[in-house]
Amino acid sequence: MAEEKPEKPSTVDFAREITSKLGGETITYCYQCGTCASSCPVAKTTDRYNPRQILRLALLGQRGEVLTEDAIWLCASCYNCQERCPQKVEIADVIYALRNIAISEGNIPAIYTEFATGLMSEGRIVPISKFLEKKRADYGLPPLKPTGIEALKKILSATGFDKIMFKKGESQ
Amino acid sequence: MTAKKGLSKRSKGKVKKMEEAKVGVFLSDCGGQIAKILDFEALTGFLKTVNGVALVARGSEFWRGQGLQAIVDAVKEKKINRVVVAENIPKISEIAITKAVEEAELNPHLVEVLDIKDHCAWPHKDTPKEATEKAKAMLLAAVEKAKLLEPIEKTEFPAVKSVLVIGGGIAGIQAAEDLADMGFQVYLVEKEPFLGGLAAKAVRFFPTDDCAICIQSPTSDLKTVTQTSRKCVYRSGFSEIPNLNVLTNSKIVKVEGAPGNFKVTVERKPRYVNEKKCVACDLCTSVCPVEVPDEYNAKLKTRKAIYVNKPLVYPPVYAIDAKACKFHECAKCVEVCPTKAIELDQKTEHLTLNVGSVIVATGFREYDPSVIKEYHYGEYPDIVTHLELARMLDAFGPTNGTVVRPSDGKPAKRIVFVQCVGSRDRRWNPYCSSICCMISLKHATLIKSAFPDTDVTICYIDIRTTGREHEYYYERAREIGVKFVKGRPAEIVHDPATNTLVVEVEDELLRRLLELEADLVVLATAMVSSENARELAEILGIELDQDGFFKEYNAKLRPTETKRRGIFLCGGATFPKDAPTASLHAHSAAVKAAKFLMNGKIVKDLKVAVVNEDYCGDCEFCPVTCPYGAITLEPKGEGHFVARVSELLCEGCGVCVGTCPVGAIELRHLKPSQISAQMKALLSINGTSKPLVLAISCSECGNAAIDSSGMAMMSYPANVRVLRVPCTGIVQVQHILEAFKAGAQGVMVVGCKPDGCHYEVGSQKTHKKVELAKTLLKAYGIEPERLEMFNLVYIEGDKFAEAAKMMTERVEKLGSLQLA
Amino acid sequence: MTSYALFLGCTIPARQPQYELSARKALTKLGIELIDLENMTCCAPPPLQSIDLETSLAVAAYNICLAEEADLNMITLCTGCFESLAMANRLLKEKPELKERVNKILANAGKEFKGNKEVRHYLQVLMNDVGINSIKQNIIKPLNNLKVAAFSGCHLLRPSALLRFDDPERPRIFDTLIEALGAKSIWYKNKLRCCGGLLRGYADDVALAIARDKIVNAHNASADCISTLCPFCFLTLDLGQVLIKTTYKEEYNMPIIHYAELLSLSLGVEPKELALDFHKVKIDKVMEKIG
Repeated sequence: MAEEKPEKPSTVDFAREITSKLGGETITYCYQCGTCASSCPVAKTTDRYNPRQILRLALLGQRGEVLTEDAIWLCASCYNCQERCPQKVEIADVIYALRNIAISEGNIPAIYTEFATGLMSEGRIVPISKFLEKKRADYGLPPLKPTGIEALKKILSATGFDKIMFKKGESQ
Repeated sequence: MTAKKGLSKRSKGKVKKMEEAKVGVFLSDCGGQIAKILDFEALTGFLKTVNGVALVARGSEFWRGQGLQAIVDAVKEKKINRVVVAENIPKISEIAITKAVEEAELNPHLVEVLDIKDHCAWPHKDTPKEATEKAKAMLLAAVEKAKLLEPIEKTEFPAVKSVLVIGGGIAGIQAAEDLADMGFQVYLVEKEPFLGGLAAKAVRFFPTDDCAICIQSPTSDLKTVTQTSRKCVYRSGFSEIPNLNVLTNSKIVKVEGAPGNFKVTVERKPRYVNEKKCVACDLCTSVCPVEVPDEYNAKLKTRKAIYVNKPLVYPPVYAIDAKACKFHECAKCVEVCPTKAIELDQKTEHLTLNVGSVIVATGFREYDPSVIKEYHYGEYPDIVTHLELARMLDAFGPTNGTVVRPSDGKPAKRIVFVQCVGSRDRRWNPYCSSICCMISLKHATLIKSAFPDTDVTICYIDIRTTGREHEYYYERAREIGVKFVKGRPAEIVHDPATNTLVVEVEDELLRRLLELEADLVVLATAMVSSENARELAEILGIELDQDGFFKEYNAKLRPTETKRRGIFLCGGATFPKDAPTASLHAHSAAVKAAKFLMNGKIVKDLKVAVVNEDYCGDCEFCPVTCPYGAITLEPKGEGHFVARVSELLCEGCGVCVGTCPVGAIELRHLKPSQISAQMKALLSINGTSKPLVLAISCSECGNAAIDSSGMAMMSYPANVRVLRVPCTGIVQVQHILEAFKAGAQGVMVVGCKPDGCHYEVGSQKTHKKVELAKTLLKAYGIEPERLEMFNLVYIEGDKFAEAAKMMTERVEKLGSLQLA
Repeated sequence: MTSYALFLGCTIPARQPQYELSARKALTKLGIELIDLENMTCCAPPPLQSIDLETSLAVAAYNICLAEEADLNMITLCTGCFESLAMANRLLKEKPELKERVNKILANAGKEFKGNKEVRHYLQVLMNDVGINSIKQNIIKPLNNLKVAAFSGCHLLRPSALLRFDDPERPRIFDTLIEALGAKSIWYKNKLRCCGGLLRGYADDVALAIARDKIVNAHNASADCISTLCPFCFLTLDLGQVLIKTTYKEEYNMPIIHYAELLSLSLGVEPKELALDFHKVKIDKVMEKIG
């Protein structure tokens, strides 16, 4: 594995890169009307996040800024913008595509590593405590069926999910 | 009307024995210029050896003066009965030559003109010997074709000097008036009881703020108006032109017949008020007990079941709303009417009109924005559309010119306009409705001027002010204090506690989320095609575009014509338009309709497709493919069908020929035998060291590109030979195989751009056919790379030269073609 | 009796037994058989979609395959699971090339997505399989015009193009089901707006501010409680009020109750059977009002 990735060109190529990703296909329809921003519950709460601005930066090829800064992680995935976008830009999905790119390059917020670890070890992103298992039994809930962790591991390795998440660990 | 007779006769073999062909060949050396390259001695020497050539002449030009006279003389003296002319710019010279030949009493279709300058001498000027050999092949091809040419006669079709105009808005009124002034019998059909359309509701027009219902007065000899005056529609006198008939409450239900001679059925709903008796005294409305929402006033007020729209457009008489009236149960109006004008027993009538052409002027309408749920139109009463606001701004309107909140009737002091509501929106209407920015500027300006203390804000994505003086209008709006927020609102929220609307929008330039409080929100909704557009299009046999508007033949060149001859379009029927553009369009459609009918007949050369009924049967390839709807299936025997070509509608492109799987249809002006003869001749002489490449080119863009490469003296090798056909759509896979058999090592098909084909679908069809042929070639052991299609236009002569070179090199690399 | 493969997901069994209990009891009472299948995993919700959309689709599809193999349609309780699974189901049914791509991945686990089963949220099952009338007939303890602020959570409604649950701007199903219990579904400001739950763990301050808005709006509309369908929304709004107390020094005591709990109570399930002690904000007020 190469020590350092060459910096990808910061031009409109970035838009092409996004449209080639699952979820990112529709970004070029954006005509910057701002409907997403005024639909957004997060943007109403904090000026750290504005979906229109993320799309703008992405379309202008500001790759580094989009992928390394805080904003793309502040989407609450409520899809309100996506419902209302007059150009049918699948905005929430575009944000997923951007997050996918950021994560594939090692920019991984801690909480996501936590989720991924849970998934890979138990097949669940929220682990079940002994206390809860007892409580369940007390209330007469049926014992939980085993998860398909073996099948899941095969899927995660087929998509390279395990490598995406934990390659950083190897090189550091 | 159809080609029935001609066909079967022809198909039974040559009944009439043709006179033996005596070809005269006239070689223009363009003032000696091209003789520096081509060896004219060799050419004339060669031609004299060709069978059937009776005369060879050389001159500096043959399309005018002495040269043309020489042709005429030879024809008159019966020395020759076929004319081949090698002349500069054949497209132009051909016109003069055929005309002269016709005057000399030889059928003009027995003339073949070719271009040995731009198609040979100039592009091959560096290899004069090769050019001379190619010129021989070209001349031979022309002679061989000429020998097979047959006379083509003319036919006349009737053209009734009468026009139906559908839609009584400003476009329809103006088109009808123009045509009536020109002496045509005109029927103006309007579905509503009153004329005026959207214009009557819009009150004022931008950018002059003048009355919307102002038109030019008729030029007919009326004492009340002068020829140049502008008048309100109701007093313009247009309705008094004797040959103009206005049919309100009416719609088209059936159209039969052919262009120039349509039979149209009109359904006329009763008005229940005799137009000739009503004196508009208003007594009827004062006694009418029924109150219904007034649609004309955007339901902002009510009206009676018997009513008239104000301001008045035409006719100036009352009408009864059949959905609301209680008729004989009530009949109070009948009792009071002083002139006995009210006739409750009127019935729906069906009229049949005989018209030569039809103009569609059905306009456009506001889109219903209630589907855009986040804007809550129809739910919160203080959200209105522009048309509703326009009614408020009308002094005759429901609020007498004041702008109020419909919820409580209080003056609206804070007004927010929202642009692009349902337009530029891929969920609803993806296009820009083009006039809504100006309508918002107009209304904002009118409000701000009349009520300066009103706060007016326009939320926009882009402000589009593209017409003359429109930008000044925008300037003026800013000057008088209209505010602009760049951003499309996400939602309009209603605060029930204060009965205020809140518009949630991002001011993008400030990058700030705003909550604009408003008493009234005005939606600049999309403008969409008239409600009955699809139904009408079906009745008329014409197309709608992807957005539901009537589709013109060609937006640039034939903006008022449709694919169906004799049917024209104008005004908002083709796209939302402002009044000046709608007028322009209306006048233009009137001229086109007049031009179509002015001679009272349509004269046409029968350069059309003919069907061999012995082969044709039971498939529907050609009727489906024909871009002009000229081919129909007619029953023949029990359970069988044959194709029938309308000689009036056929444009002679040959797309049907290329589609027919059994070779049962051919063009009278380019028969299979003529194509074969030319092909063989073109490939019979090489004279170069390179493999022969045949370029089958259409007569339109394809040939124009070849012309322009020659005119610009771009060189390409002389082994490339051009066979011209009307449209590449005529090409059959079999032609391509034939070319290879005749000695071509490569075949180029050169046509128009797929979306710019002069015959609509030809180029696209050919593209598919070429792909199919490639797979077939493979099966025959011929490399598919030997065949390629090129789509070029006039300004791409360089690309033709490149393509010719490329194909030559490619074929050279592939080596000599070995046919099994 | 209609049978469904029950998809429990992660959060409900791990954190909210009151939800699972009430849902199982209510649905069984109403004639729906819930079948627990082996080998289900996480549904691949937004956090995993953020890591890799392709993997998420494959994991969702894997779980649907289990239902396909059992020849059962799937029922979800959690709105988040509903979104992940229903979205994947729709996408893969509609886009053959995507289906092919995912099936290549699934082949490694010996699975193939066929696309012959539906993923339903339990509200759809109540509406369509049980029916409003049948619910009304089975009610033993009507909710006495309890003023309920309905909050379905975003992922029940959006993206509507794929979920097709209800009109995303004017949903009626949830409100209808609330009113069927004899409660009143009240208007409150920004009813359809997100609770911010998915930002917990990354931007807790923002998440809490958004959640607070929700609570305040329900409070201002004099709601007796907020009714939820999603365990994330529940957590955000219920536990959230504890955090609001420490962060904003405000106390709203707005009970957050899953619809399944309200349904169970109205069908006559004894409160003590429902693990109601798992509520951080006590729901005594509500219990009092409904008697």
